[in-house]
Formats: sequence, C-alpha cells, structure tokens
Amino acid sequence: MSQTATPQAAPPPPATAPAPVPAATAPATPGQPGTSYVDTPALLNRWQLIGMSVAIVFGIVSALLQFAGWQSDGRAADDTEQLLRVQEVKTSLLRADALATNAFLKGGLEDPAQRKEYDDAIDGVLADIANAAEAQPADRRALAALNVEITDYATAVAQARDNNRQNYPIGAEYLSGASVELRAAALPILNELIKANQDRAEDAMAGQHPIWLFLLGLLVLVAFVWLNRELARHFRRRINKGIALAAIIVLAVTLVTVIGAWIRDSSNDSLRDGEFATAVHEANARTAGNDAKAYESLRLIKRGSGSTYESTWEAAAKTVDESGTRAASEWDAYTEVHRRIVELDNAGDWESARKEAIDESGEAFQPFDDATRAAVETNGTVATDDLRSGRWFALLLSGLTLLLGVGAAAAVARGIGERRREFS
Amino acid sequence: MIRARLLAATLAATAALTAACGYDATPLPKAEQSTTPAAPAASAPVECDNATQSYAPSNDKGAALKQLINKDRLVVGVSGDTYKMGFTDPTDGQLKGFDIAFAQAIGKALDIPVELRVISAADRIRMLDEGQIDMVARNMTVNCDRWTQVAFSAVYYNATQKVLVGLDDAAKYAGPGSLAGKRVCAPKGTTSVANIKEIEPDVDAVEAANHTSCLIKFQNSEVDAITGDDTVLAGLAAQDPYTAVPQQEKLTDEPYGLAFNKGDDALVKFANSVLDQMRADGRWKAIYDEWLKPTLKVDATPPAPQYGRQ
Repeated sequence: MSQTATPQAAPPPPATAPAPVPAATAPATPGQPGTSYVDTPALLNRWQLIGMSVAIVFGIVSALLQFAGWQSDGRAADDTEQLLRVQEVKTSLLRADALATNAFLKGGLEDPAQRKEYDDAIDGVLADIANAAEAQPADRRALAALNVEITDYATAVAQARDNNRQNYPIGAEYLSGASVELRAAALPILNELIKANQDRAEDAMAGQHPIWLFLLGLLVLVAFVWLNRELARHFRRRINKGIALAAIIVLAVTLVTVIGAWIRDSSNDSLRDGEFATAVHEANARTAGNDAKAYESLRLIKRGSGSTYESTWEAAAKTVDESGTRAASEWDAYTEVHRRIVELDNAGDWESARKEAIDESGEAFQPFDDATRAAVETNGTVATDDLRSGRWFALLLSGLTLLLGVGAAAAVARGIGERRREFS
Repeated sequence: MIRARLLAATLAATAALTAACGYDATPLPKAEQSTTPAAPAASAPVECDNATQSYAPSNDKGAALKQLINKDRLVVGVSGDTYKMGFTDPTDGQLKGFDIAFAQAIGKALDIPVELRVISAADRIRMLDEGQIDMVARNMTVNCDRWTQVAFSAVYYNATQKVLVGLDDAAKYAGPGSLAGKRVCAPKGTTSVANIKEIEPDVDAVEAANHTSCLIKFQNSEVDAITGDDTVLAGLAAQDPYTAVPQQEKLTDEPYGLAFNKGDDALVKFANSVLDQMRADGRWKAIYDEWLKPTLKVDATPPAPQYGRQ
C-alpha cells in the first residue's frame, strides 16, 4: 500500500530551498525498466516515528530508572529501620534474660526497678514485633513464629517467678529452661530476620544505576546521529535542527541524571560502609554483650558450672571484640569485673563471686549498654535520614525527564516535519 | 508494527523494574533433625557380694587431705534443684538440703572450706573421674556397677524408688502395672529409668536433665508420672499440690553413699569415720528431721554401716 514515486515525480523545490536529493541514489540503468523508487514521504514518516519513539522510550526508561532509584533509596531507609528494629528485639530479649537471671542470682524478692526494666524490655519487644510486622510483610511469617517463642519465654519466666516466690527450686529450673529455649528457638528466627533485612538494605542501597542511564543516553544519541545521517544523505542538510535539539535534550538529561545517580550511588556506598555498618556493628556488639552478661549470671546460678558457661561467655565476648565497637573501653571495664568474678569462682569463693556479680558487674556493664545503644540510634538515624534526604529532587527529576523525553520527541517530529514540508 | 514492538519493550522494561520491588518472605530457620543416639548395648550387670560394704573408718585427716584436688578446699558435686536434698534456696541463693549438710560436715571435719558445685546426675562419675571434684553428695545410689568406677562411703541413707502421679490418679494407682503405656519421666544417668523398664517393660520412659525438669514436663502434660527416689519425689510433691506419691510397694532399694574417686580410699575412710560420729552424736537425726521428715512424714534411723572392703 505504500506510495511509490520516482525522483522525477517529486515536486519542484521551493525557490529558497535547495533541491532535495532523490531518495534512491542509484540511477536507473537504460533499458532496465522497473527501477525501484523510494517513497520519500513514507520514509520520512518512518524516520519520524522511529525518532519520536526513541525519544519517548528514552524519557520513559530514564524516568523509570530514576524512579526505581528513588524507590530503592526509600526501601533502603525502610529496610535499615527494619533491620535496626529486629536487632533491637534481639538485644532487648537478651537484656531481659540477663535481668531475669541476675534477679534469680540475687535471690529473695526481685528488685522492683530491675523487674520494671525486664517488663519494659518485653513490652518493647512485643511492640517492636507488631511494628516490624506492619513495616515489612515479607517478615510476617517469621515474626509470627518469633511471637510464639517470646510468649513461651515470658510465660516460663512468669512461672519461674511464681515458683520462686513460694521458695520452690523448680522456679530456677523454669528460668534456665526458658533461657535455653530462648537461645535455641527464638534467636535463630531473629538471626534469619537480621540477615534478610541486612541483605535487603544493602541491595536497596545499590539501587542507583548511573551506568544504565549513561548507556541508555549513549544509545539514544547514537540513534539520533544515525537518523541525522540518513536525513543528511537524502536532503542537503548536514544537521537537522529538530534532531539536534532532541540530542541536546537527551545529552543534558543524561549528564544530569548520570551525575545525580553517581553522586547518590557514591553517597549510598559511603553510608553502607559508614553509618549503616557502624549501626549494625554496634547493634551486634550490644546483643553479644547482653548475651555474655546473661551467661555470667547463669554460670553463678548453676553454681560451680563455670567451665560450661565460661566458654559461651567467651564466644559472646569474642563477638563484641571483633565487632569493632566504639564502646571498647566501656566493654573492657566490664570484662575486668567479669575476670574478677571468674577468678573468685574458680578459686572456690562463689559467695564473693556472686556478690561481685550483683553489686559490681551490672554497674560496670551499664555504660557499655548505654554507649552501644546510643551509637546504634545515632548512626541508624543518620543512615535513614541520609537515604531519605533529597528524594523529592530525584522524583522531580524523574518527572521532568519524562516531560523532556516528550519534548525531544516533539523536536524530532518538528525537525523531520520540516523536511516533509520541503519535500511536499 | 514498530510502534507495537516499542510499546511492548517499554512495558517489559517497566515490568522488570517494578518486579524488583518485591521481597521474598524471610525464611524460618530449618528445624534441626533430631539425632536420637542409638541406645547403647546393655552391658551385663556387674555382680558383687555386698555393694554397700565400704572401707573401715579412719580419722587420719592428713592422709585424707593429701588426696584432695586442691589442698585448701573440698570440692563437692551436689544437686542444685532437688528440693530438700540439694537445692538453691530462692530466698538467699544458698545451696541447702540433706546431702549438702553431709558435705558440710565432712568439710568441717577436714577443717577446710567446702566448694559446692552444682552437677547433673549424669556428670557425677565423669567429673570424679576427670578430677574436677573430690566428692559427690548427690543422692547417689551405691551399686556393684558403680563400685567399678568410684569408691563409696558407708550408706548414709536408705532410700527407695517409687512413683509420683497426678493427684487424680493417686487413688487408682495399683503398682507398676498401672504405668503400662504411660509416659514416665526420670533423669538421665540414673538407675531409675532402667529399674522401671525392667519392672514394667510397657512403660514409655522419658528422660530429662533432672527430676525438676521431669516435674516441669509433668506440669506441661508431657509425661504422666515421675519415678525416682522417695526422698526426691517427696520434694517434687511439696512443690506441686496436684501431684502425689501414692501408697505403694517400693520398686527398688536405693542406698545412698558419698562417692569419691576410685583411688581416694583415705578420703573414703575419713568420711566413714565422720559418718560414724554423726550417727552417734545425733547429728544424723537432726539433719534428717530438718530436711526430710517434714516431707516424708516418717521417723527414720541411720542405716547401720557395713565395713570390710579391702
């Protein structure tokens, strides 16, 4: 159905415009009727369609890439918050366990302040689980399983208390059983949650794609150069103004978005290796520290079982040491007290070891717990704030890119339209 | 045609980008496969003429002190959860009970402090063998088999193995036959499990770390009954009003001895001399009256010692 026309059939060019070059450059060989002719208007239509489509696709894909980057930064912030939330759950649980075991070590009626601290820790855990389930649907199944374990733990501790208040030794057995079950059943779920959210946050931080934006821009520019060359071959114009304008738009958008994405990508890399990593390390240190503190009480509750619990204390302490925590001096102060407890206990002076654990150890541990908690909060807030900062600009640029893609398409249409007018 | 392809490509790119927004559900930890160890082949019981026969007493304190792991203290393995026998008092965190009183008496006679170490029943022989403790005072039954591994003092209490059931089942209990098909709990490493299986093979024996763990299992409806020494069961029943030790024939005799390392005969002899003194001066009865009489509700006399082991 395409219209065919011989060059001779082409209308004369306007007086002011140079004559268009015939579309088919191969001259007809005499005696060879049926020489193929190119339908120039159809060709122009096709080029116009290709040029406009390339410009619009550029606008859409570039905008989508930026939108994905914008989304990715938001997800990274959300995932970081979720990671810190589940780490807080783990720390609070071990903190609660450390408080419960220490209360049993002391004997007699539980210190009301310590009891309140335990209750606050469990309340915080349950609230965090509810918030975490709302924040990340992918975590819901794991959080539901965790909820069951925590309910069992809290119930066992309550039974331990009830029996303890009646001076029944079964109370201590409920407590040690709860501690064992907490580590055997609840902590593995939390470890999976921490791993999943850390992976998600780190993946999302790598969600900026400057290379893709650059390659896309380059590809579109190559397409425009090709289009311009094809036009130049058929019309005596070296440069088509419309295509040139579209190319300039694409070049400018590509430069701005590539630089923007690159800056954002570098910033995310710095965050991942900086504040984010620090928040994760400090949270790991705090968790392991509280784990060690609970083991210290358990070794004394299970009187004389120091060798059993000391190896678990040392494993937890090694995690703190290797975490690179900035609260190392506070940790060292606590470990000094712990060493004294171990020396006393190993020398057979359990009474003095217990007194040291009740009177000195908790006091020595508190600064480490406070310092790591503050470091997690500060670095976590910086990381999430940074990931969320300037996102409006990225979204605006994404929308603008879409509009500029349409603008580039219009420029192509206008540029090729001029040729069509010249032809007709 | 071209327009359609471009549209399709654009839509595909959009779909690919938006697909990246979904998250896989966080996996749950894989359940550890239960690795139930194969039951060890039952070895033939060791026979001997008189398991309760110990070494003749001696008050040679110097010889006894030389056999201690640490020269300045007596390290004793005890229970921390057996109510009235060896348990941590929740009011002050101190270890107390019938067994603890005997450990303290031996330490006092040696004139050195006592270091109490809470151990499980299953650890008693191993810790003695490894030289981690000097003595075990943890309701340990004297028998021929154990004499091949450790040395015992003269018997300081004659316990018997019985069964604890729920209060509702106490009236219906008519001996071990009533336990057929029932889940009966006893601690690992004790003679109780083997005894009940021998008497009633249809019992579903369930092991726990200690008797208090058995009581927790009972309270959580994981077992139907607990078997053990009457001293221990009385302590469990005292902690749970919905349990009872019904009137019953004893399943076995469980004579308790203080256990020492096999070569520490001087320590055993010294302990026997202390036990003799305690029987004679009324301390044995005072300890019994303080710790066991309130729960067992019967008077008792100290068991007569048997000596002559070479």
